[in-house]
Amino acid sequence: MSKRAPHPSLEMLALHSAGDLALVAGWRVRYHVAHCHECQHQVQLFRSAAAELKREASAETLTGFEAIADWPSLEREMLGNIGVGVDAARCIEGVGKRPSWTMRIAVVAGLLLLFAAGWMNHIPSEQTQHLLATLRSVTGFERPIPAGTVLRSTPEGIAVRTQGATLTILHPRSAVVSLSGNSAVSARYVDEDTGQVTIANVYGQ
Amino acid sequence: MSMGSSWRAFALAVVSLAAASGAENGGQWLGVQFPPDSPVLFVSFNMGPSTVRPRGVSMALDLHASLVLRNIGEKPISGLTLRVEAEDLKPGGKGSVIMPSLNVQPGEVFPVRIDMELLRPFNMPKGNAALVQVSLDCALFADLSSYGPDKLRSRRTLLVFELEAQRDRRYLAKLLEDGRLPELREELNFGLQDLNPQQLGLELLRMPSLDAGEEKALNVRPVSFRSSPVQPLRGAAQVSGNEVRGPRVEVQNISRKAIRSVAMGWIVRDERGREFVAGSAPSTLDLAPVATASMVEPGTLRFSRPTGQPMMIGGLMAFVNDVEFADGKLWIPSRSDIEEATTDPVLRRELANSPEQQRLTEIYRKRGMSGLSEELRHFAPGSN
Repeated sequence: MSKRAPHPSLEMLALHSAGDLALVAGWRVRYHVAHCHECQHQVQLFRSAAAELKREASAETLTGFEAIADWPSLEREMLGNIGVGVDAARCIEGVGKRPSWTMRIAVVAGLLLLFAAGWMNHIPSEQTQHLLATLRSVTGFERPIPAGTVLRSTPEGIAVRTQGATLTILHPRSAVVSLSGNSAVSARYVDEDTGQVTIANVYGQ
Repeated sequence: MSMGSSWRAFALAVVSLAAASGAENGGQWLGVQFPPDSPVLFVSFNMGPSTVRPRGVSMALDLHASLVLRNIGEKPISGLTLRVEAEDLKPGGKGSVIMPSLNVQPGEVFPVRIDMELLRPFNMPKGNAALVQVSLDCALFADLSSYGPDKLRSRRTLLVFELEAQRDRRYLAKLLEDGRLPELREELNFGLQDLNPQQLGLELLRMPSLDAGEEKALNVRPVSFRSSPVQPLRGAAQVSGNEVRGPRVEVQNISRKAIRSVAMGWIVRDERGREFVAGSAPSTLDLAPVATASMVEPGTLRFSRPTGQPMMIGGLMAFVNDVEFADGKLWIPSRSDIEEATTDPVLRRELANSPEQQRLTEIYRKRGMSGLSEELRHFAPGSN
């Protein structure tokens, strides 16, 4: 003979009585209650109590509705409360008020002056110029330097510029500059001291 | 081995050990590094009047390096390329110094000067390495063999220069031998104003030009050398003011050999009708016999006069400067090819103006006919 299953807890029975259990748990409790007189009795008690509570709640609601049926007196009470609230707000009007716009501008200007003085005393002018140039470039006031590699000749040398740095290989002014590849420029000259032909090149990728 | 040669070998070994470790000077501004097995090593290294000064938001380093190199190999050296790399420009930019037309016998020393300027922003971080590194890229020997990593493809360049040098020395020696002195003088153009090659300013941009302007299509006129295995057929370019964009030339392999690369030379005509050889650019081009292909120069070329004024483009011509066959052999135009290519004497001189021609012209100017004769004898076969 199989051992009888334990009784469900009171909470489970209460939920079962109101039909609030999940599907599987509800099926197990319903199966148990169908075969257990003790639990059937307990469920019956829960249902009776619930019905009683519902009845009482309906009676109280009706009492409250009757109380607010006197609208003129309720209106007077509400207007009085609003008047008290408005008066209280006037009393605390100045408490926690924000500073005026003039004061705010003065404070910001002071801080800016302090910042500018600190910047001028501590940051090198080159960095300032660099930052200004960047700002001008970002805001569109200055045409940005194109990214990429540029090879160019000058009277003094041939240069490759990339990543912000420039390497120039210097040559005498008599040097002949020419293209020496898809991405190379060369300068050819005869060294006055050695009489040797020297060809300097710069390459970009 | 004699006692003298033993001492010489010992001394060279000491120099090699010292050189293999590299040399740095100028507060890690410049570093020189040659491989331990290099046939060329530096004997001395001197930084001249190098300075550092602020320029705008950048720091300008003026570096003047003077190197004395020694050939410690067993073969005479005909040409040399030193690679110049700045940490700040890696990997986008670099430089090199080429010394063609050398005749450095084993054991001999020779000087190399490198004058440069590095402009770097103050806020650019600096690593532990020297700001500029000089290293050996390629050494070409008299037997046309070579040594070096050849990262800049300078072996091909040195080979072309050497073949041109041999051609020009043979040509001048023949004029001298035959007693055709007026022709020799005309060739070297002694005393005339246009002795030096015509100069121009160049700018090569690796991106579309900012100033689009009004572009117009321009036909590229081909200049043919009779014996060239590759012939230029036709071409076109977009021209705007002093800018040439994307010049393109169609070429055909008229030889029976496969081609590996072709160097296309460019001649620019200005608004006054003067012509300048703008240079040549080698391009890898696998070209079977009779096959045709299109060669395109990417980017924008901007021309100016040496004074900086823009040089308006009136015309553009293309010629095949040299050809590399699949078997590694090279073709360069002969002197008669150049003679026949154009009736314009100025352009002819421009086309024939190799580095060796320039060097020999300078010798003729300074030391006269006897100096030139002595120099040509120095290079003659069996003279060493």
